[in-house]
Amino acid sequence: MILSTIVFLPLVFALIIAVWPNARTIRPLALGFAVIEFILSLALLQQFDPSTSNLQMVERYMWIERFGISYFMGIDGISLWLILLTTFLTPITILASWTSISERVKGFHVCMFILQTAMLGTFLAMDAIFFYVFWELSLIPMYFMVGIWGGSRRIYATVKFFIYTMAGSVLMLVAMIYMMYLTQETTGQMSASLLDFYKLQIPFVGGTFFSLQTLLFFAFALAFAIKVPAFPVHTWLPDAHVEAPTPGSVILAGVMLKMGTYGFMRWVIPLFPEASEYWAWLFMLIGTVGIVYGALVAMVQPDVKKLVAYSSVSHMGYILLGLFAFNAYGMTGSLYQMLNHGISTGALFILIGMIYERTHSREISKYGGLAGVLPLFTIFFFIITLSSIAVPMTNGFVGEFFILMGTFQAQPVFAYFAVTGVVLGAVYMLWMFKRVFFGEQGELVKDEHHPLHDLNAREIAVMIPLVIMVFWMGLFPNNFLNYSKASIDHLVNNKNTYNLTINQPGATATATATAPTTPEQSTAAAAQGDK
Amino acid sequence: MNMNIGLSDILLVSPMLALFLASLVPITAKVLRGNREQNPIITLSQALIGVVIAVGLMIVFGGAGKTAFNNGLIFDGVTQWMGIIALFAASASMVMMYENPATTGKQFSELIFLAMSSAVGMLILVSAVDLLMVFIGLEMMSLSLYLMIAMSHEEKLSKEAALKYFILGSFASALFLYGVAFIFGTTGNTNILAFMDQASELVQTNRLFMFGMAFVILGFCFKVSIAPFHAWTPDVYQGSPTPHTAFMATAVKAVSFAAFLRVIATRSLVGSDHLFDMLQWLAVITMIVGNTAAILQNNFKRMIAYSSVAHSGYILVGVITAGVSDDAAFGAAGVIFYILSYALMTLGAFAIASMLEKSENHIVNIDDLAGFAKQRPMLALCMTIFLLSLAGIPPALGFFGKFYLFNAAIGEGLLWLAIWGMVNSVISVYYYLRPIVVMYMKDGNADIAEHSLNATTVMVVVTALAIIFMGFVSGPLFSAIENSLL
Repeated sequence: MILSTIVFLPLVFALIIAVWPNARTIRPLALGFAVIEFILSLALLQQFDPSTSNLQMVERYMWIERFGISYFMGIDGISLWLILLTTFLTPITILASWTSISERVKGFHVCMFILQTAMLGTFLAMDAIFFYVFWELSLIPMYFMVGIWGGSRRIYATVKFFIYTMAGSVLMLVAMIYMMYLTQETTGQMSASLLDFYKLQIPFVGGTFFSLQTLLFFAFALAFAIKVPAFPVHTWLPDAHVEAPTPGSVILAGVMLKMGTYGFMRWVIPLFPEASEYWAWLFMLIGTVGIVYGALVAMVQPDVKKLVAYSSVSHMGYILLGLFAFNAYGMTGSLYQMLNHGISTGALFILIGMIYERTHSREISKYGGLAGVLPLFTIFFFIITLSSIAVPMTNGFVGEFFILMGTFQAQPVFAYFAVTGVVLGAVYMLWMFKRVFFGEQGELVKDEHHPLHDLNAREIAVMIPLVIMVFWMGLFPNNFLNYSKASIDHLVNNKNTYNLTINQPGATATATATAPTTPEQSTAAAAQGDK
Repeated sequence: MNMNIGLSDILLVSPMLALFLASLVPITAKVLRGNREQNPIITLSQALIGVVIAVGLMIVFGGAGKTAFNNGLIFDGVTQWMGIIALFAASASMVMMYENPATTGKQFSELIFLAMSSAVGMLILVSAVDLLMVFIGLEMMSLSLYLMIAMSHEEKLSKEAALKYFILGSFASALFLYGVAFIFGTTGNTNILAFMDQASELVQTNRLFMFGMAFVILGFCFKVSIAPFHAWTPDVYQGSPTPHTAFMATAVKAVSFAAFLRVIATRSLVGSDHLFDMLQWLAVITMIVGNTAAILQNNFKRMIAYSSVAHSGYILVGVITAGVSDDAAFGAAGVIFYILSYALMTLGAFAIASMLEKSENHIVNIDDLAGFAKQRPMLALCMTIFLLSLAGIPPALGFFGKFYLFNAAIGEGLLWLAIWGMVNSVISVYYYLRPIVVMYMKDGNADIAEHSLNATTVMVVVTALAIIFMGFVSGPLFSAIENSLL
C-alpha cells in the first residue's frame, strides 16, 4: 500500500487545500503536507531492497479487464531516486514560493499537489495506459501554473508547452494500443502491463525506417524526446521556463524533464533494444548537438533565466548521451545526472527567483557587483554554479564524469564533442557569474531608493538542503548509487532480453541472479564502439 | 401484406407510446386552461416523468433482439443504449429550455410537446430496421426540430437557422429516400434484415445496389454533419437557441449514428472497397475540417459546433470499424461509449453557454469570458473539465471514449485512421484550451449574465462529476455495453 499512499496522498492534500477555509494558513498547511509526503517517501528507502533488480512493493489490481489494463505500480532502483527527488523538491519549492506567489494562493497549491501526484504516478506506473493517464495528467496543473502565475508571454508559452507535449504523446498512445494487440497475438490475452510488453519479441529489420520495431521505437522516443527536451524539439522549453513562475520552473526543470529521460530508460531501451542500438547514433548525435548548441545559445542570453533554461538543454543532452551509450557507466551517469540536474538547476531557478523578487529584472546587463551587496546570496549562487559546471566534489562532476566515460567506451567520436560542453558550460556559467556578481555595480544594484537585502532566514532554509545535497551527492555518490546498482546492471547486461520480475515478499535474496551476464553481449557492444 | 399487431409489439413500443402520451399532457393542460400557460416547472416535470417512464419501459421490455411490427423495429442493445443516451440528452436539454431566456416563456408547453415528439421520433429511429421506418423516424424527429428552432423569439439568426436546417435537412432526407428506392428496386425489400446476408455480395455485383447504399449513407452523413456535408452545422448551431443546439448536437446526433450503425451492420462495406475508401476519407476530412475551422472561431457556440463536426469524424471511424470488423459488437460498443461521453461533455458545455446568455439575442464570445474564473469559479472549473474531456485528456471520460474507439480501429488494422484521429485531437487541444486560457489567465470582467440558474447548475455539476468518475469505471461500463450487443 505504500506506493499508492505516496502517489495519492498529494491528491488528498489538494482536496483538503481546495476546501480549506482560512486563506492565511494555506502556505504553512501546504508546507506541512509536503514535508509529511517527503518523510513518507523516506520510508521507501527503509523498505527498499538494494540487492535486487526486481520490481518491489508491487501493487496490482485489475482496472479495465476487457483490455488487460491494470492498476499496477512498482518501484526499482531506477525509479526510487526520482520519487525521492520529487518529494524532496516539492516542500522546498513551496517554501521558496512563500512570497513570490501572492495571488490565488489556494489554486497554486492545489495545482502543486495534483502535479506531484501526476509525477509520482508517472515514475511508478508499470502499466502502459495507467502510465499514460499520469503522463498526460501532469500537463494540466503545469499548464495552469505557467498560464496563471507566469510572466508576460505566459499564455503563448503555456499553450506551446501543452501542445508540444501532447503532440508527442498521442503517437505513443497509438503505439501502446498496438503493443497491447501484440500481447494478445503472442499470449492470447491482451495486456497493457509493462512486464508483458518486455516479453514481446518485436521483429526488427535494420536499414529501413518501416520496420515494426523501428516505428514503435520512434513513436515512443518522440514523446520522450519532446519531454526531455532533445535538440530539435526543445523550443518549448526556453519559453516555458522564462514565463513560468519560480516554483513552476523548479518543478519543470527539476522533475518533469526527467519524465522524458526516465521514459527512455524504462520504456524505450528495454522495449526496443535492437532499434535503440541501431538508432543509437541518432540519439547520441541529438544529445551531443544539444550539449554544444544549448551551451552556445546559453552563452549569449541576456536574460539569466533563459540562460539557465538553455543550460538545461545542454545538461539533458548529457543524459541522453549516457543512456544511448548502453554501458554501466553511461547509464549510471545518466541516472545520477537526472538527480543532479534536478537539484542544481532547481536551485539555480530558486536563486534567480529570489533576486527577481528583489529587483524585478533578470537582465544580466543590469546587474554587476552583486557580490559586495548580497554576500550570502553570492555564496549560495557560487556553490550551485560550481555544481552546475561539474566541478569535482560537487554532484555534477560525478554524473558528467560517468557519462563521458561511458561515451568514450562506446562511441568516442561523440565523446570528443561532448567534452567541449564541459568547457562551454564553465564558460557561460562563470561568465554570467562574473557579469552579475563582480565588476561595476549595475543600475539595479546601486539603486539608492531600493536597497537590496540579503537572504532572510526562510530563503536560507530553502537553500541549505539543496547545498547539502550538492556536496553529499558529490562526495559520497555510492550512498545513492548503491540503491540503483542492481537495476542498472540488470538493464545494461540484459538489455536485449530485458525482463522484470515481481519481488515476492519473503523471497528477497534468491531472485537476484535473474539472468547471468553474457560476455558476448558486452563484447559485441564494445566491438560496435570500436568501429 | 398481412399485419398482425400483437401484445408483444405494443409492449415493445410502449416507451414511445409513453413518451407520446406524456408529450400531450402539457399541451392539453394548456388548452383546457383556456390557452393560458401553466407553471413551467409543472410542464417540465410532466415531461421528465414521461421520460423516466419511457426509460423504465425500455429497460423492462427492450433488449434481446426482439422485433416488432413485421420486423420493422428491432429492440437490442443498440436500441437500449442509444435510446437511453438520447432520452437523457433530451431531458437535459429540456431542463436547459426551462431556464434559458430564449426558450422559456409563453410557448413553453408547445416547445416541450415538440421536443417530446422529436424524442418519440428518436426512439423510432434507434429501433428502426426497415429503411422506411428509419425515414419515418428521421422525419418525425427533424420536423419537430425545425419548428422548435423557428419558434424562437429571436428574429434574425434563428429564422435563418430554421430555414437552413429545413432546406438542407429535407435535401438529405430526399437523398436518403432516393437511395432507399434503389435498394428497393434491386432487392425488392426495404428491410435491412431481409437483405443483410446478401448485402456484402450485392454491393459488389450490383451497381444499382451500391448506388443505393451510397445514397443512404450520404443521407446519414448530412444528418450527422460529416464534411463536406457539414456546412449547415455551424450556422444552425449558432442561430438556434442554445438548449436546442444542445439537443441537436447530442440527442439527434446519437440516434442518427444509431441508425447509421444499423445500415453499416449490413456489412456492405466489406463487399465494396469504394464505399469503404469513401467513408474512410470522409472521416479524415471531417476531423481535419472540423478541428481547423474550430480554431478560427470566436463565438463559443460556433466553436463547439465545429468541434462537434470533428467529433462526428471520430465517431465515423468507430462506425467504419464496426462495419468491417468480424467482432462488430466491439466496434459498435466503442461508438456507443464514445457517443455517451461526447453527449455528456457537449451537454455540459452548452449548458454553461446557456447560463451565460443574458437575453435571447446575447451571443457569448470566447473573449467575453475573461475573468470568468474569478467571478464564477465553480462554473469555470466545470467548463474546464468539459473542455479538457472533449480534448481527450485523461483521466476524464473523453479520453476513455477515444481510447476505446481507436483501440477498436487499431485492432481492426485501421491504424492510419487512428493516427489521423490522434493527430487531430492534438489540433483540437489548441482551441479547447482557448476558453480555459481566457477564463483563467486573462483579467477582465466577463460579459455574461449574473443570474444563476438552479436546475441548469445542478445539471452542469452532475455531468462534470459523471465525466470525472465514469472515467475510472469506464472498463465495466464498456464491457456492459459490449455484452448487451452480443
